[in-house]
Amino acid sequence: MFGHGFLLSRKTLSDVTECSPLSEISCEDGGMITKEYCNDDLKIKHVSSNIGAFLACAPKRNRVVLILVDALRYDFTEYDERIEKPLYYQNRLPIIQGILKQHPERARLYRFMADPPTTTLQRVKALVTGSLPTFVDASSNFAAMELQEDNLIDQVVMSGGKAVLLGDDTWSRLMPKRWLRSHALYSFHTWDLDTVDNEVDSKIYDELKKKDWDLLVAHYLGVDHAGHRYGPNHPEMARKLKETNNRLQKIIEMLPPDVLLCVIGDHGMTESGDHGGESRAERTAAMFVYRVSGLGDEGALSVGKEVQQTDLAPTLSAALGRPPPAPSLGNILFSVLPKMSKSITLLHLSNNLKQVTKYLIRYGEESQQVSLDKLANLINATRDQIEKAANVETDIDLQNYVSDVRNLMENIRSTFREVWVEFDSLSMLRALLLLLLAIFFNWLITEGVPFESISNIFASSFVPTGLISLAVCTAVCYTAYYFSYLEDLEHSIILSTGLISGGLTCMLVIMHWDGITQRWYEGRSSFYERFSRAALVASAVILVSNSYVIEEGTSLSYLALSALGLISWNIGNVKAVVCWALCGVALALSRSYRGCREEQGDCWTAGEGAPTGQASRAALVLALGSVAATVAITRRHVGWRGYGITLGGVLVCAHWAVGWGALGSPAQSKLMAKLAWLVVVVMFILLWKRDGRGATIPLMVLGLVLYLANVLVLGASYAPAAALALLSGFLTLNIVSWMKTDSASKFSLSSRCNSCVACLWALLACYNFYGTGHHATLGHIRWAPVFHAGDPNYISIGPLITVVLTSLHLFGMPFMFGATVPLLLLWGRNGVSTLGSRTQMAAVFSLCLKFALCFAIRVFVCALSATIHCRHLMIWGVFTPKLLFESGACAAAFLGTVLGATLTAWHLPPHQRNS
Amino acid sequence: MFSLNNQLELRKIAISSLITCIYLPSIVTVISYKGLLYSLGNGSTFYVLLLIYIAELLKSFYLNSNVVSKKIKSKMQARDVINSGIFLLGVTFCFFVGMILFGAPMLDSHEETLMISALLTLLTVFPLVAHAGVESAMQLLFGVKHFSRDTIIEMLVNNALLTVCGAWLGAVVIPLDWNTPWQKWPIPCYLGAIGGHLFSNVLTILKISLMSAAEKNPVLNFVVSVLNKFNLSK
Ligand SMILES: [Zn+2]
Ligand SMILES: [Zn+2]
Repeated sequence: MFGHGFLLSRKTLSDVTECSPLSEISCEDGGMITKEYCNDDLKIKHVSSNIGAFLACAPKRNRVVLILVDALRYDFTEYDERIEKPLYYQNRLPIIQGILKQHPERARLYRFMADPPTTTLQRVKALVTGSLPTFVDASSNFAAMELQEDNLIDQVVMSGGKAVLLGDDTWSRLMPKRWLRSHALYSFHTWDLDTVDNEVDSKIYDELKKKDWDLLVAHYLGVDHAGHRYGPNHPEMARKLKETNNRLQKIIEMLPPDVLLCVIGDHGMTESGDHGGESRAERTAAMFVYRVSGLGDEGALSVGKEVQQTDLAPTLSAALGRPPPAPSLGNILFSVLPKMSKSITLLHLSNNLKQVTKYLIRYGEESQQVSLDKLANLINATRDQIEKAANVETDIDLQNYVSDVRNLMENIRSTFREVWVEFDSLSMLRALLLLLLAIFFNWLITEGVPFESISNIFASSFVPTGLISLAVCTAVCYTAYYFSYLEDLEHSIILSTGLISGGLTCMLVIMHWDGITQRWYEGRSSFYERFSRAALVASAVILVSNSYVIEEGTSLSYLALSALGLISWNIGNVKAVVCWALCGVALALSRSYRGCREEQGDCWTAGEGAPTGQASRAALVLALGSVAATVAITRRHVGWRGYGITLGGVLVCAHWAVGWGALGSPAQSKLMAKLAWLVVVVMFILLWKRDGRGATIPLMVLGLVLYLANVLVLGASYAPAAALALLSGFLTLNIVSWMKTDSASKFSLSSRCNSCVACLWALLACYNFYGTGHHATLGHIRWAPVFHAGDPNYISIGPLITVVLTSLHLFGMPFMFGATVPLLLLWGRNGVSTLGSRTQMAAVFSLCLKFALCFAIRVFVCALSATIHCRHLMIWGVFTPKLLFESGACAAAFLGTVLGATLTAWHLPPHQRNS
Repeated sequence: MFSLNNQLELRKIAISSLITCIYLPSIVTVISYKGLLYSLGNGSTFYVLLLIYIAELLKSFYLNSNVVSKKIKSKMQARDVINSGIFLLGVTFCFFVGMILFGAPMLDSHEETLMISALLTLLTVFPLVAHAGVESAMQLLFGVKHFSRDTIIEMLVNNALLTVCGAWLGAVVIPLDWNTPWQKWPIPCYLGAIGGHLFSNVLTILKISLMSAAEKNPVLNFVVSVLNKFNLSK
């Protein structure tokens, strides 16, 4: 429900606008009157007003220089002599006003309005496509950064034109391989004001002298970085603006006569210099256009009027002789284009309308986001408008026509804006409240209700009542929907079942209120218990800050190690301290597998971020060694199942060894992988064979089987990290099993069934997501694990396998740790296995619930933080991916605990069942 | 906690805490005044550690004076000195490794990590060793001996624990992306350790003064018992 309201999504279409040159359009189409008068004008007039006709390319092509000064707010370009003491951002770009005064027919200056999110990546995508990109541009290649839609650059390149790029490497990652020459630089060092600008400066004047390009894109970052670091009202901002002024002066001097110079900002900035949200200051950028040979009439757009950023792509495409890109929702601004004849103007307008019509039709085919009747109305309106082009005779007619088209486009844009730009805050709020309710009541139950009561609850009619009431509720919702009383089925089901579950849990709390309050009065938490719980809550709360989300691996290992240290100090003997130190060593060694993400500066530019293809020889040896060591040590302790584990380990090693290097044979390697998976599945099935010796060994085998599965998907480069995770889990289990129990029998279980143990295990599970080389960004999702055992696309259940393997790759660690939660109680000599089975099950259930609750708390805080930061600069880059990954990890942990608890229940010794 | 029995001990504790509360902030102020605060991690600020070493040594001499107990004779044998030196080096090494395990840079910044390990040793273990000798310190460390009667050692243990807490809390600011010079390793933990030490001494003084005031005003006993809850050592 939260995702529905929060994840603004937009379906991307891979359509491309095509146009045919006028020479290829024959006059016989549609029956023209006389062949002799078949000139271009007549062709154009015919094509423009004919809905079914193709788009015709405009005959003339101009060259365009597009200079993007990041974060150029409109008021930076204003000039007011009357201000006596201008602020540091005022009156610093005098060249603009100078040109506007001297040559008003050559220059235009407008307020260039952006749509939120006003973050650079989203804005650059919007500027080149002419659309309103959001977070989830649902395309076929979900995780890639490359722009999948038709855009300005593609239109240029498609017709044989050439484009050159200077500056921010965002462009080269969005549109790789389309540039004739590209000098792109890493752009995340926001405290560095000059490197990128100086680099671009060193190249741009040379490029301006050359004549082999049609589009030159230069992206300057200095103003934006100065804003982030110092704010707009600071001498450094004045310096950067002065540099920009000098730059513009020099470029204008060097500009060839018919080249169109377009200087834009992608967004503005707030008073503190940041951007990302929807305030007016962040949305108002500047657009300055200059052409020595003159521009078209101003018309209604005088200096300072508002112009939408969606209008840039179609306008520049028209300047370059192309129709607007397929997803564009913008107008063509004739006042910033060279003066053109009436027929050419009509041609451009017609191309624009036809492109928009096609987009509306195609979007309606692919997505149900906008209601069909609204779409139908808009399509009819655009078709009518196309046909009206035949009636345009005089200049006044033309002007009216242009403004009619503008109003129509505005209408279309606002329809899409509603769906793509605005959050559904009601959904989000309801979801957050529901989640909070669930967590609160469950926490009360796990902390308060004593074990004996838990087993009683299960024996009573509580669970069946709950299930029946949920089923009844769902049935009522379906009936109401069928009879059209309800509109949104999904929402209603989720809301009502959530409320009913909440109500039932609340009743449970009330019924056991006495027991809960008694435990609170009697309970005495020691320091390490409170610390572990505080550590888990702290690990969740810091997710509200973007720097902690980025550095989460470090902070999780810090907190986990501290909590573990306090527990082992409390135990007090040398064994525990040594285990703790070894665990610390394991966590520190896994640091080398963590890699880094884009925002982590130096680490990323040194090339350590993106995982490379094949493992090196040293990595292979390490991987083989780690698997061999793990299997060799553990197989002796798991009885007859050890043979299966050994076989699985051998096959995994063979899979890597055979497939490595130039001499490897991929087919054999994939065969080994398939066999290994077969062994894994068989071992999993064999887990359910009861041999009457309790649940400890099956749980250990489950852990090892999941380890093998993880190792298969992680590949040889990261396999040792999984072994390190296993080692850290093993050492923690030992330490937990040595925890001192209180003398009073009532709480003899409480030390090990404590929430501090669950919190610690949850911290470890979350850490090992990072420890096995993952990051909470969509760009880090790799597709190689899906293909390691062959291409699943050839099998009928291919998509299922893809989903399973990808989920296992990403969330295998939380799953594994979730499945082994009962081991925390059963391990060692003080384990629960000596007690009666009902108490055992109650303890296992309680601990599993606490573990699950830890993850639920983390998800809740992530959702809350995403809500709070919904218009923050890093919302799409940092917080939303973190929310998605945390939800995935939570789901995996839930599944794991269910699996582990079921296995434990299955293996409980039967003769104790009736106790 | 602190028993009111031994007035002399209490006075010595109070005075030594006061001395700490004076000399530590003055060192920090002088250093920040000279603009060297951001280079605390370098080897060039070794003299700070030297100053702290001398100060702690003098304090321990003061604390040991007039004590009649057999164990704590100020009979400085060479063997004892060497033993304690080795022990302290061992503890420094343990802190060094421990900090790397917790997240300090593994392959570089060894100088910085060494400086902060030395600081932590000086502020936590060194006063104990200087006061009670190596064997007692080791026994205390491993929780074997209980010291409920000895108020000086209790104070020293409290100091040690709060120093480590301060260093732990200081690491909280390191991941933030404010790009300030005082966020670099090891300065936040360094200052955090000094801060923790200071805080512990301030608490001691507060407790003692409140206790002696509580003799006259029994009302203040409540505040004293609240402060006792801060007692970490068990
Ligand atoms: Zn920007
Ligand atoms: Zn920015």
